[in-house]
Amino acid sequence: MASSSGLLSKPLFWLPLVLALGTALAAPLFGSSPSPLQTTALALLLTGTVVLSGYLFVVIFQPERF
Amino acid sequence: MTTLQPPIFPRMPRGRRDQRRYTERPKSDGLLGRAVVQSFVKLDPRLTVRNPVMFVVWCGTLVTLAATVEPRLFELSPEAPGRGFNALLSLILLATLLFANFAEALAEGRGKAQADALRRTQASTQARRLLPDGSESLVDSSALRRGDQVRVSQGEMVPADGEVVDGVAAVDESAITGESAPVLKEAGSDVASSVTGGTRVVSDELLIRITADPGKGFIDRMIALVEGAERTKTPNEIALTVLLAVLTQVFLIAVATLPPVAAYIGSPTPVVVLVALLVALIPTTIGGLLSAIGIAGMDRVAQFNVIATSGRAVEACGDITTLVLDKTGTITLGNRLAEEFLPVGGHSERELATTAHAASWFDNTPEGKSIVRLAEKLDAVTTLPMDTATGLEFSARTRMSGTDLADGNELRKGAVEAIKGFVRSRGGTVPADLDGAYERVSRLGGTPLAVCLNAEIHGVIYLKDIIKPGMRERFDQLRRMGIRSVMLTGDNAITAGVIAREAGVDDFIAEATPEDKIAVIQAEQRLGRLVAMTGDGTNDAPALAQANVGVAMNSGTQAAKEAANMVDLDSDPTKLIDIVTIGKQLLITRGALTTFSIANDVAKYFAILPALFGKAGLAPLNLMGLASPQSAILSAMVFNALIIPALVPLALKGVAFRPATADQLLRRNLLVYGLGGLVVPFIGIKLIDLAVSALRLV
Repeated sequence: MASSSGLLSKPLFWLPLVLALGTALAAPLFGSSPSPLQTTALALLLTGTVVLSGYLFVVIFQPERF
Repeated sequence: MTTLQPPIFPRMPRGRRDQRRYTERPKSDGLLGRAVVQSFVKLDPRLTVRNPVMFVVWCGTLVTLAATVEPRLFELSPEAPGRGFNALLSLILLATLLFANFAEALAEGRGKAQADALRRTQASTQARRLLPDGSESLVDSSALRRGDQVRVSQGEMVPADGEVVDGVAAVDESAITGESAPVLKEAGSDVASSVTGGTRVVSDELLIRITADPGKGFIDRMIALVEGAERTKTPNEIALTVLLAVLTQVFLIAVATLPPVAAYIGSPTPVVVLVALLVALIPTTIGGLLSAIGIAGMDRVAQFNVIATSGRAVEACGDITTLVLDKTGTITLGNRLAEEFLPVGGHSERELATTAHAASWFDNTPEGKSIVRLAEKLDAVTTLPMDTATGLEFSARTRMSGTDLADGNELRKGAVEAIKGFVRSRGGTVPADLDGAYERVSRLGGTPLAVCLNAEIHGVIYLKDIIKPGMRERFDQLRRMGIRSVMLTGDNAITAGVIAREAGVDDFIAEATPEDKIAVIQAEQRLGRLVAMTGDGTNDAPALAQANVGVAMNSGTQAAKEAANMVDLDSDPTKLIDIVTIGKQLLITRGALTTFSIANDVAKYFAILPALFGKAGLAPLNLMGLASPQSAILSAMVFNALIIPALVPLALKGVAFRPATADQLLRRNLLVYGLGGLVVPFIGIKLIDLAVSALRLV
């Protein structure tokens, strides 16, 4: 089992990558937005919500790590 | 350890508990200021991520802050809230986070202050280490290692934890216990040979074998514990974390999937309002207070001069269903005193007293000394040649002690059955009236000690046991809490029965050996019960390790302290009952605040849902008559934030505890905190809404 410090340090590396990739993939869903900034913001919000949900699943299945 | 002459607890405090002087309470100067600073430090996402509920609030705050900078960042609808509303919402969410962090920082700060007080006792000192050739070298206490031997004289500080291997001295332990009366420490004693680093020798000299390497001593472990360095989540906290994470997940998914539905019914919902709805739905109150409650539980135990090795141990106290207690020192006063001589077999009282005087000549226990005093009072002093005699120490196996004279005569005193066996083994007979005297003493709740000279029994000594005041009421309280009490004693069944009846314990084991203690604990655990016990001797160590909650006396041996999961600095075995109460209080507090947290969400639904879906026909749900949708959302959020600091004192102090069964406590919890959690937010949100409207904030 990874130590909690390992768990906390790893996301700093991969979290921006996941958010960037997710935003790029979700952006077409918000193509009708009036500005590219809003398109990106909504795609980032959706990706962030999915990542947050994933984090909560990790807490549910490995609560002792938090 | 239940023996005929059980251990004495030399550190047992006297007088009413509230009048005793405990460890200097840590100074709280600057505690609030430090907690405020820590509240901001804990906004670091690497720390917030440990608390799933508050991390979701943290993410929500980030979204509302972004919407404050650019109000049209997430919004397609022209009716989206403006920058002012978003800024207010961001501030309220930030306050929610800070209040939760403040609760935790305040609880941690109290522990740290206690650790600082302990650290002050850890001043580095010089020690006289014994070298193999018998000479001494002066070394720093940090250079001492396990197994080293040091000599500590009057006025010097004990450099590290150890066992006394030679000498007798008075030691001032007030630095760690707060008790100013010095304690006698001597080699070979099961309960008085352990010394703690940082205490001071106030008379004579001791030779000490070091038992802990630097940084691994008793005070080091205490500091680490009260600072929370070794704090891990308890099973109850883990279960509650899962529950809170599941609830948060469910509400996150519900809120995230709401926009398409809302758009379909013609009520498009702005993102910041969805964030407010999510924060209102998730259990932020208990999420914000959960760790503070756990830390405060450890702190309360520590304030009671008890050091727990983990929060798990404190929490286990709350689930205890059986208490295994030694009679002597716990239920009765430690020192039994000789009350009367009952001669048998045609011997006179004076003859018996003289034999008892000689048999107790080398007995330095309080019981032995009281026998000598009673004999002297009757002017029955032995004339036997004691200067050439040798003493025979009491043992749990033989259950007798005595004196061997140089001419071959043997004087013995001890358990009646043991003395009968001794006499028969030497070809003697048991007087017919012995059993009568034995029963008479037993029926008085006293301990009968038979006395013999060689193969002839002279009579019985009546040792009087005194039940501590208030024990019956305490056991009644425990019974009301659903806790069974079992008394262990080396006494015979009649004596044990009388004491058990008078004290009000539920069960007793008479003529118990040290092995019986483990057997009783295992038997109770097989029935699914959780067992707590106290102990101080090396032979208590296995039972202390076996028990779900083992409380070792600070005056006890190192082995006992290492096997136990709590150490009582006052060495007061009665305190086990208080520890159980603190554990119960911890669980009840957590349960009460969880109930309140979930119940107070209901009012927030009635505030936010009509605000969100008023146009879709949910306006009648605005039971509180809140002024506008935006003021309703702000009022619910303000209440959500303010309820956390409002409940901090309750989280730290614990809810008022009254002894009752689990069912009664659950009913009371639901009534007070469930119903209160339903009603209070309706009133609170309405009042805040009136203030928000009056101040024209939205």
